[in-house]
Amino acid sequence: MSRRHKISLSEEELIAALGKREKIAAEALYDMYSASLFGVISRIVIDTATAEDVLQDTFVKIWNSFASYSADKGRLFTWMVNIARNLAIDKIRSKDFKNQNKNQELENNVTFIDEKRNTVYNPELLGIKDLVEKLKPEQKSILELVYFKGYTHVEAADELGIPLGTIKTRLRMAIVQLRKNFN
Amino acid sequence: MEEVKAYIESGILELYVLGDVTPAERLEVEAMAVKYTAVKDELAAIEKSLELYAKANEIAPADTQREIILNRLDYVLVNEQSYKNEAKVLPLVKPQSNFYKYAFAASLALLIASVIALLNVYGRLKETTNLVASLQNQNHEIASTVSLKDGEIEVLRDPSFKLLKLQGTQKSPAAAITVAWSPVKKKVWIDMATAKMPSNDKEHQYQLWALVAGKPVDLGVFDSDTTSKDMKEMKSITLADAFAVTLEKRGGSPTPSMDEMMVIGKF
Repeated sequence: MSRRHKISLSEEELIAALGKREKIAAEALYDMYSASLFGVISRIVIDTATAEDVLQDTFVKIWNSFASYSADKGRLFTWMVNIARNLAIDKIRSKDFKNQNKNQELENNVTFIDEKRNTVYNPELLGIKDLVEKLKPEQKSILELVYFKGYTHVEAADELGIPLGTIKTRLRMAIVQLRKNFN
Repeated sequence: MEEVKAYIESGILELYVLGDVTPAERLEVEAMAVKYTAVKDELAAIEKSLELYAKANEIAPADTQREIILNRLDYVLVNEQSYKNEAKVLPLVKPQSNFYKYAFAASLALLIASVIALLNVYGRLKETTNLVASLQNQNHEIASTVSLKDGEIEVLRDPSFKLLKLQGTQKSPAAAITVAWSPVKKKVWIDMATAKMPSNDKEHQYQLWALVAGKPVDLGVFDSDTTSKDMKEMKSITLADAFAVTLEKRGGSPTPSMDEMMVIGKF
């Protein structure tokens, strides 16, 4: 934890600085969101070196295509995590990645990751993590599939053998539960 | 409002936030969010909770990633790097501006020096031009003097010239003048260098006469000039028994005033 001082800006300040392509914007962006984005990427792309490649590509894409982000249409993180998720999915679906046979069995991924990596000890997140643990197992699995595995809800319905409508409802309920816990 | 509530509860907003919608559904959600505050608020809540969910599941990348990623981004505007670059450029700019300052001062000094030099040279050129003009005049005078002297020398060398010294009359016993006459060349000269004629006033001039068979013939007028070293050529004549000089009114008279005879000489 005795690392350099991290730069943190408000979302408005960060968006303004990103628009001006200032270096401090890149530093703040990295300090504020790299761990969250890497958490998502790492659960889709298991191999650490490959996940790091995807993380780098994610920041480059965020930086270079920032002009296409519109604060009117949603939060900055929502836009960024979708870029990260899409790049990670593209990676594991690419031919050369499949040939390397580095993808894991889906069911074990999230647990596997959490066992493999020592996630950073962060007291601020203790409460949040506890709340996540309070999700029902069925809510947790659907969230993990669509959020951390990059499944579409159609793919998730297929994977879990559940009707589309039920998947949608269950996903909504999972997020409603999160909101209750976070708020 | 029932319609809005059903829309929210359909779960489409969650899928929208996850990016799991068709382009048509996306436009629909965005239109609904503009239209209904409830939809907009619901979307904001979903986004915020999923962001926190990601945070709860965060994994810090290796420390080396920060440097790698920051180096892969290009910074277009103000950042530390560009400040450093500007600082490096400054010393290059300064001597340049000083150079032009000094160059201008040097040019100005050179211009002033040039003007002074030019004025100097112009002054000297003027002096020289004057000198050349006066030398030309002198040269001209010398040339004419030389040609005159040549004429005099010719007179003295020419054996056809006869020299006759006219002596002063009773009126002016001290007066005298030498006449050189060549009957062959029909030329008459008077020698001003040896002439001893009293000075004449402005109304009067001396007139030289030749006496031919007792009759006076006008040979021209002259002034007394004690400074002249020249010989003066008079009118020509082929025959003469005697020469005489009278003082006449300026310009000469048709006949000599005998009582004003100054000098006379006979062959």
